[in-house]
Amino acid sequence: MAMAMAAAAGECSSYTSEVTERRGIPAASFVQDVQSYLNQSGLDVNSALAFLQERLQQYRVVEMKLLAQQRDLQAKIPDIEKCLDIVSTLQAKKESGEALVADFELSEGIYSRARIEDTESVCLWLGANVMLQYSCEEATALLQTNLENAKASLEVLVADLQFLRDQVTITQVTTARVYNWDVHQRRLRQATTPKET
Amino acid sequence: KKAGTSGSEVEVTWEDQQNINKFGRLNNRLHELHDEIKTAKEACENFEDASNELILTDEEIVRFQIGEVFAHVPKDEVESRIENMKEKTSKNLEKLKEEKESVVAQMGELKKILYGKFKDSINLEED
Repeated sequence: MAMAMAAAAGECSSYTSEVTERRGIPAASFVQDVQSYLNQSGLDVNSALAFLQERLQQYRVVEMKLLAQQRDLQAKIPDIEKCLDIVSTLQAKKESGEALVADFELSEGIYSRARIEDTESVCLWLGANVMLQYSCEEATALLQTNLENAKASLEVLVADLQFLRDQVTITQVTTARVYNWDVHQRRLRQATTPKET
Repeated sequence: KKAGTSGSEVEVTWEDQQNINKFGRLNNRLHELHDEIKTAKEACENFEDASNELILTDEEIVRFQIGEVFAHVPKDEVESRIENMKEKTSKNLEKLKEEKESVVAQMGELKKILYGKFKDSINLEED
């Protein structure tokens, strides 16, 4: 494989995966060899560790943001499905010619009864204090589109989170390796230094 | 779970890193599945309870929740709606359980590989 050969030839001490970033999230570069990584970056151990820690922090911030977006989408999807359910119920009632009687919450703990006869159109809440009237068919189509978009966005988001978590894992492992390498170096130096009596 | 490495100089290759990454992803998915399975089980129980209540009631019209309202629906229709929802949820539950089995198996495989190479230097257990 081309990548393995380049590493073996010693051209680069860090191997980056095929992607260098994903939607603004920088990829963590994989370190083949700690010594050459430190030489190449010109950093001493402490600075390298500090840099890695900072990267980790940045990743955490992005993770929080993505998780919040994921929660929003996960709440939105069942909402849209509920709306689709009721619109299709109204359509079914229209076909049978009956009125739909339903109990709805007027206020906390207080319910009232409604008789819905005209099911020609429904109103959909678009957000920002705007409500629009649609025919049942148009409403179903719109809700269906919104549902598909929400599901597609969720898929992309989940993939983003997976990518992000991979970068976090790489950074954590690199941190451990740099730290261990340093400990190892210190032990070597101690072993070659004559002990004082 | 943290993939921590400590101690002596065992080389970490890109393949090792990818295995560690995969293990992390699988572990996350395992936790998600755990929650999803719990939710699906509860939903199944609720449908079971609802079915039972339906058998006991002697009302012809039942108040059935659609969206945010309780629609007045004939008992037969409610029965079939609940049957459908029960069916859908059980199928989903089965699928989730299968996925969980697969994830656990894959994690087992990766543990063998990673512990095999890194032995004590790596920790793949739950904190």
